[in-house]
Amino acid sequence: MELITEDVIEFLKNVPPFQFLEEKTLQAIAGGLSMEFYPKGSTILHQDGPPSEYLRIIKKGGVKVFIKPDKGEEVLIDYRSEGDSFGLLSLVGGDKSRANVVAVDDTICYLLNKTAILKLVDSVPAFTEFFLKSFLNKFIDKTYEEMHNKSLLFGGGEKLLFTTPVGEIAVRNVMTAPQTISIRKAAEIMSERRYSSLVIVDEEGVPAGIVTDRDLRDKVVSKGRTGNEKVSDIMSVSLIKSEARDYCFEALLKMIRYNIHHLLVVDQGKLKGIVTNHDLMMLQGTSPISLVREIESQQTIDGLVPAARKTNEIVGLLLKDGARASNITRIITEINDRLVKKIIEIAEKEFGEPPLSYCWMVFGSEGRKEQTFRTDQDNAIIYEDPLTEKEDAEARTYFSVFSAFIRDSLIKCGFPRCPANYMASNPEWCQPVKTWKKYFSSWVYTPTPDAVMKSLIFFDFRPLYGDFRLADSLRDFLSSFLDGQMIFLGYMANMVIKNTPPVGFFKSLIVEKSGEHKDELNLKVKGIAPIVDIVRLFSLEKGIKETSTLERLSELRERHTIVREYADELEHAFEFIMLLRIQNQFEQIEAERMPDNFINPKKLSNLEKRTIKESFTLISKLQDIIIERYKPLIW
Amino acid sequence: MKIMKNRTDKGHPGMALEGARYVVIDTELTGLDKKKDSIVSIGAVRMEGGRIEMGDSFYGLINPASCLTAESVVIHEIMPSEVLTKPDIAKVLEEFLGFCGKDIIVGYCVDIDMDFLNRESKRLFQMTIDNPVVDIRSAGEWLRGRGIIPGECGSALPHRYQLYDIAKCLDIPVNVAHNAIVDAFITAQIFQRFIPVLVRAGIRSTEDLVSMSKKFRGGDRYIPLCSISNF
Repeated sequence: MELITEDVIEFLKNVPPFQFLEEKTLQAIAGGLSMEFYPKGSTILHQDGPPSEYLRIIKKGGVKVFIKPDKGEEVLIDYRSEGDSFGLLSLVGGDKSRANVVAVDDTICYLLNKTAILKLVDSVPAFTEFFLKSFLNKFIDKTYEEMHNKSLLFGGGEKLLFTTPVGEIAVRNVMTAPQTISIRKAAEIMSERRYSSLVIVDEEGVPAGIVTDRDLRDKVVSKGRTGNEKVSDIMSVSLIKSEARDYCFEALLKMIRYNIHHLLVVDQGKLKGIVTNHDLMMLQGTSPISLVREIESQQTIDGLVPAARKTNEIVGLLLKDGARASNITRIITEINDRLVKKIIEIAEKEFGEPPLSYCWMVFGSEGRKEQTFRTDQDNAIIYEDPLTEKEDAEARTYFSVFSAFIRDSLIKCGFPRCPANYMASNPEWCQPVKTWKKYFSSWVYTPTPDAVMKSLIFFDFRPLYGDFRLADSLRDFLSSFLDGQMIFLGYMANMVIKNTPPVGFFKSLIVEKSGEHKDELNLKVKGIAPIVDIVRLFSLEKGIKETSTLERLSELRERHTIVREYADELEHAFEFIMLLRIQNQFEQIEAERMPDNFINPKKLSNLEKRTIKESFTLISKLQDIIIERYKPLIW
Repeated sequence: MKIMKNRTDKGHPGMALEGARYVVIDTELTGLDKKKDSIVSIGAVRMEGGRIEMGDSFYGLINPASCLTAESVVIHEIMPSEVLTKPDIAKVLEEFLGFCGKDIIVGYCVDIDMDFLNRESKRLFQMTIDNPVVDIRSAGEWLRGRGIIPGECGSALPHRYQLYDIAKCLDIPVNVAHNAIVDAFITAQIFQRFIPVLVRAGIRSTEDLVSMSKKFRGGDRYIPLCSISNF
């Protein structure tokens, strides 16, 4: 009778996998529905008891699923709560129930009878898939789709930046000219045709370089060139190209990275067209490139402050465009890197040439290119080994004022100081190559808890500015040095397995036991950190030099047997939790609150909850594998 | 007799509460005058023990013999023109009795419903409905008398409480306007919560349940307090 099943249908519309069913299918199954009430503590299904005749969907309350072996303690399998279901396997299998299911609270379930379920199993593949393994691989897109649709923030749903191949928006008729013409001639062609760029080709018509308005301004007028010189003298030769099939996002990223406004689009080596900053802006409204340009044009720290604040707006735009977390963190990283570089350039101007060559390194989330909104500073300086004491003293004096200036400038631009003082302005983290090597080897040889903790943070270092060879040599040293250091890796493994995911919590999600955030889940500590830690451990095992979790995963896929099996799931879990965190933080910022890492599980949809839960299960599984792998070293 | 075809033996008193079949009913009336007023609609939902079979329900609107009064129209949102096109009581009642079979009839202030149903049944089929009957209000009062009504606020029920007050106490959602099928479903959910509590309080069989309900009618207060729920 539709009057009393109407509410059930509404309820099922938010419950996976029923939410994937068509309205008429839902209407049809509603006829076979019944409802049961279980007082707290009552047993719903008995292990080894008769098979379940129903699929039970929890409407309210929660249940505990566990197995009790003949001997020994009960083994908890899961807690299930509103929107979860149980009993499918024994229903479809038709043999005995495999586990005990007990109501841990007064619980109401909707029951769907065997006939209705078997019909769904036969006719709707997605229905069965949902209950089987590899949920993360199969359902992540549905989760994203739902996330994208449910928030007003993400209305519109245009994902042009991530779905349009750059070839589609590229201007086909690229203006070309031979490299023998004069600068004046090139400028004439450009102003006649109103082109902001001219591709210079060699005798065979292969692109040799590009001349843009900017080159005419920066390299001709301001440098006092006559215009009679050959255009090849001023063209940019390092042609940055984009493949026609690349998504516009990739093109955008290249423009940001190389600070260029024109990008040649090639298809199998042949010039296909050109795409400009303006084209991408048309696609997107506002462009991160204009922000980068704004950063670039500043000469003072005070001038950088307003530009730095705009990063948040970019994140909003990307979220609206349906960007994945990795897209967003890549853009934030590019923008922040540029900001830091600019600050260092200003510092170099302020304090003059450094006495020794150095490299500015970043680590932590910045090192992993996984920054979101509010990121503490995590940086260090590595400089060339001084040959004399005088050189040493000079370097210390120079870098101490230099790094303090950078620290304070970063604070002004919205990067708070590191609470643990892991900053280049701390003399401990502003050292010559030999000292860094000594640090690293002493942490590995004497893995005290403090040393392992530092390794977790510092081993994610990457060079950002200066002489990259210094940082690279440190990375090479670490990779070769760590090879076979099982004791140290064992210590690290112990650290990794300590942060167990909150799988055992009622309603599937553990929440902080006390304090301000007691009903909330810390996405960073409980979701992101364990994945980062697991992937780092495997990367260090294999001497992989990449620092970002996703890059590490793609390297490990080929080289690590365990990771090969779980790489896709790990990637999905990581991307999903990151996106949830970014989205949550963005909403907090929009509401003028301080962004944090806490999310209230009540705000999550059933599908999102399930995705988090599956992620936790995956983390647990990998931690178990690590325990097994490092067995003799685990205490 | 035709209307007996669906009858089974499962509803016999003397079974465990969890093993019996019930039909939870509600009627909407034009008023409470047993001589003048008539039945507007009948709603019912089956229960197999504690399990409410939401797909196995009954809802019949009736073309009333007497006119709807203005007050009841406001409450039920059923306009006279709407019911005039509905089948006669004979057809709906026959179907309803077929739906009930021999199951135990359960309702809130069910005596009023039974009075009207029996009046029509006698008039049309020359028989009274002989199913065992359980009144939920009486069962609730019985439990309350023992201080064991389930739910958050059993003791905080208002003095002149109604069906929806109990529902709210038990955290049963009440969000659709009054009508016979929705009220029957709410009553079923209340009964569902009562079953385990009744069993623990010593009601071991359906026989115990029926006789408890018969004996415990809440005295003089019964009719005036119940009256409001049916129209």
